[in-house]
Amino acid sequence: MSRFAELLDCFFYRPDEEVGPFLELAPEVEGVPESVVAEVPEEFLAFELAGETYAVPIAVVREIQKVGDVTEVPRAAPNVIGLINVRGEMLPLYDVKVRLELAGQPPVVRTKKDVGRGARVVLLRDPEGDAGILVDRVQGVVKLALSRLESAPNLGLERDAVAGIGRKDGRLFILLDLEQALS
Amino acid sequence: MAPPRALEEFVTEANEILETLSRELFVLDQQRGKEPDPDRLNAVFRGAHSLKGLAAMFGVDRLSRLAHRAEDALDALRLGKVPLDDRMIDTLIETLDMLQAMLARVSAGTSAPDLEVGADHLQDRLAELAKGRSLPAGDLLEQVGIDPQIRAVFTEYEEHRLRENVKKGVGLWKVRAVFGLDDFDTKLAALNARLKPLGEVVSTLPSSRPGDEASIAFDLVFGSGQSKSAIEAALDGATLSTLTTREGPVEVTPPPGPALSLPPQPRSPVPRPAPRWDDVSGSGLTPLAEPTSTSGLRLSPESSLRSLTQTVRVDIGRLDALMNSIGELLLIRSNINRLAESARQVGSGVALPKLWGQELQREARALERKLDELQKGVLDVRMVPLGQVFDKLTRLMRRLVRESGKDVDFAVSGGDVELDKLIVEELSDPLMHLLRNALDHGIEPPEVRRLHHKPSRGTIRLKAREQGNQVQLEVGDDGGGMDESRIRQVAVERGVATEEQTREMDRRDLLNLVFLPGFSTREDVSELSGRGVGLDVVKTNLARLSGLIDIDSRRGDGTTFTLTLPLTLAIIRALMVSVSGRTYAVPLSAVMEIASVRHADLQTIERREVFEVRGQTLPFVRLARVFRLPEVERERSFVVLVGLAQQRIGLAVDELIGQEDIVTKPLSGRLRAIPGVSGATELGDRRAVLVLDIGALMEELSRPQAAAS
Repeated sequence: MSRFAELLDCFFYRPDEEVGPFLELAPEVEGVPESVVAEVPEEFLAFELAGETYAVPIAVVREIQKVGDVTEVPRAAPNVIGLINVRGEMLPLYDVKVRLELAGQPPVVRTKKDVGRGARVVLLRDPEGDAGILVDRVQGVVKLALSRLESAPNLGLERDAVAGIGRKDGRLFILLDLEQALS
Repeated sequence: MAPPRALEEFVTEANEILETLSRELFVLDQQRGKEPDPDRLNAVFRGAHSLKGLAAMFGVDRLSRLAHRAEDALDALRLGKVPLDDRMIDTLIETLDMLQAMLARVSAGTSAPDLEVGADHLQDRLAELAKGRSLPAGDLLEQVGIDPQIRAVFTEYEEHRLRENVKKGVGLWKVRAVFGLDDFDTKLAALNARLKPLGEVVSTLPSSRPGDEASIAFDLVFGSGQSKSAIEAALDGATLSTLTTREGPVEVTPPPGPALSLPPQPRSPVPRPAPRWDDVSGSGLTPLAEPTSTSGLRLSPESSLRSLTQTVRVDIGRLDALMNSIGELLLIRSNINRLAESARQVGSGVALPKLWGQELQREARALERKLDELQKGVLDVRMVPLGQVFDKLTRLMRRLVRESGKDVDFAVSGGDVELDKLIVEELSDPLMHLLRNALDHGIEPPEVRRLHHKPSRGTIRLKAREQGNQVQLEVGDDGGGMDESRIRQVAVERGVATEEQTREMDRRDLLNLVFLPGFSTREDVSELSGRGVGLDVVKTNLARLSGLIDIDSRRGDGTTFTLTLPLTLAIIRALMVSVSGRTYAVPLSAVMEIASVRHADLQTIERREVFEVRGQTLPFVRLARVFRLPEVERERSFVVLVGLAQQRIGLAVDELIGQEDIVTKPLSGRLRAIPGVSGATELGDRRAVLVLDIGALMEELSRPQAAAS
């Protein structure tokens, strides 16, 4: 490709192109919600945690993996499920349910047998070091207009790991604050 | 100022030159009083010259000016106008330090007003040194009868070297060598290398009588005290004749054929540019008719535009990436081996012809050999001699010794031992710290030494030696040694241990207290040794390199620190062990031996389990307990003895799995702080396995607090 063609390609870059691999990796996806373009909506990856739907910006998602072997890390923080090997890179796998108070204790996960069929590892980019989170099921990519996001209602819960709330077609998406969720 | 990117180039290039300079100066320093090797002097001169040019090109004028003065002084030196005395060496070494300091500032992007005064002072001293006596008139060279036409083409330096050779009374020879155009450079270098032990190649001139079109001829002016036959033996095809008309000191044959005559050449070492093709129409010359051999190939070192060294600079990150790929290849290799093995076995349920299985196995073995080569190759590339750090430390110590006013010899050995580049880089600070400590706290003032019937001149040693796949470094002094009662007192004062604890400690444990954070036995932080940075930093730095430090000190006899380091961090051999169903890797460098211990034979001291191995009682540390894993009741455990000299512990594990070459990968930033784990590696089945940090584990387990809990 010529230098010029490359530039053109950048110019006409369509963000949807990145969605493909995620859908392939997550066969249980319920279908991509249709987009209604008013402003340019941001894309989020939606996934399920204990029956609720959570979302993180697509930009921080590195890839989605099936659950493989997880190595226990002694003396690590309680929300660390273990260490996973991503093509030679050793990354921590976190449980966010404890942080969100959806569960009392992180699950003991050593192999794929320890999790449900839909469970996936969502690998996230993070300046402090990439990390994986364990989700019950990946739903798919959802486009949410940033201007329409609400802040989390005060439910008398300590939920600083929630960055905000998005609504789309009558569904509720809880946006995760990653920095908090992994701390 | 040059843009940052270009500046970066400048800094690396300049650094390389300074390193070469420092190496050569170091040798000159060592050989004080002897007649310096002219090649070495010339190399130092060239270094200063290149640095001057380079700095000027990048607009770093301050550096360029100082390098220029150094070049002047070195020029006078190599031309024999001034002697290489102590004053000269000291000034040159100081100049080198100054240049390095300036370069560091350039690299950091800060100005250096504080260096100005020192630099000015050095410039004046160098200018003073460069003023030498003028050359004696009525030259020796005329007396020996060298064709003035030849002399016309010599540079001042070559003439000086020729004169030196005449003074020595050795024979002067002309060596004519004809080489093919395609490989003359390597052949010429080889010839030079053969001649060098026999004498000195004063000058290399392209011959006035070129050979045929496919070859090029050189005349080497060679001074040597050897006999003609001895020189001829080294020539390998080149012809030898005398250069002078004077009777040489050894057997002399009259020069055959026409005397050496050369067309007068410009003195400038800069090669004349080859005529461009647009010149050709004007002059009657065709470019081919111009003997390229005489115009462009004056092999004067000054004229070379090629870079100074035969090295490729590579970001260590790229080597790491390569190493990682190799690590993955190794995994694939073991998988293939496994497949081949099962295919080869008859009746294994695999429906493959046996022959095919054998074939596969043969190929797998070939792959294995090649992979080993590749792995070794990449590891070799990462290896650099410790001398790089030692040279820097030597210069630093010279300065520190001078400033301290103590009388100290600094003995260095083992600079040729090679270590992983990353480790060598990280070593300089800990070593510097230990050396400063030795000078500042170790060596007593001369009066005190005499009082104790010791030679008033102290000695500080820095020694490296290779031991299997480890390197051992020793920093030792013959000073006063460490005061146990003082250590005890300070430890209690600073709250690192209680009085009872210190009383129970043996000498070794007591000495090791100095590595604890916040420990320093001398309240007055001197100007020399670190500003409040203690030995604990040295220890942490070493732990990061998977290194261990040990201390031995005898009151009155001095202190020796022994540092044990792996050769490389990239690939290490590890013992795979299993505890409560989990697999861990123990770096083999830390493993001393392996034993099997019946739990019934265990005893306790203050409720801590111990076991006995060949008459020595050692702590029995259950890894499962340390890591809070569910323990499985068993009759006996395998014990991996880890540690240093006398300080050992036995790590109890359930099973030994075997040895493996592993590539240790750091844990992601979020998990970095897990104590006792230095990283992770992957096994053949892609599972992540934690690598134990034995140094940290031992420290943790031997800490007084642990004993108290």
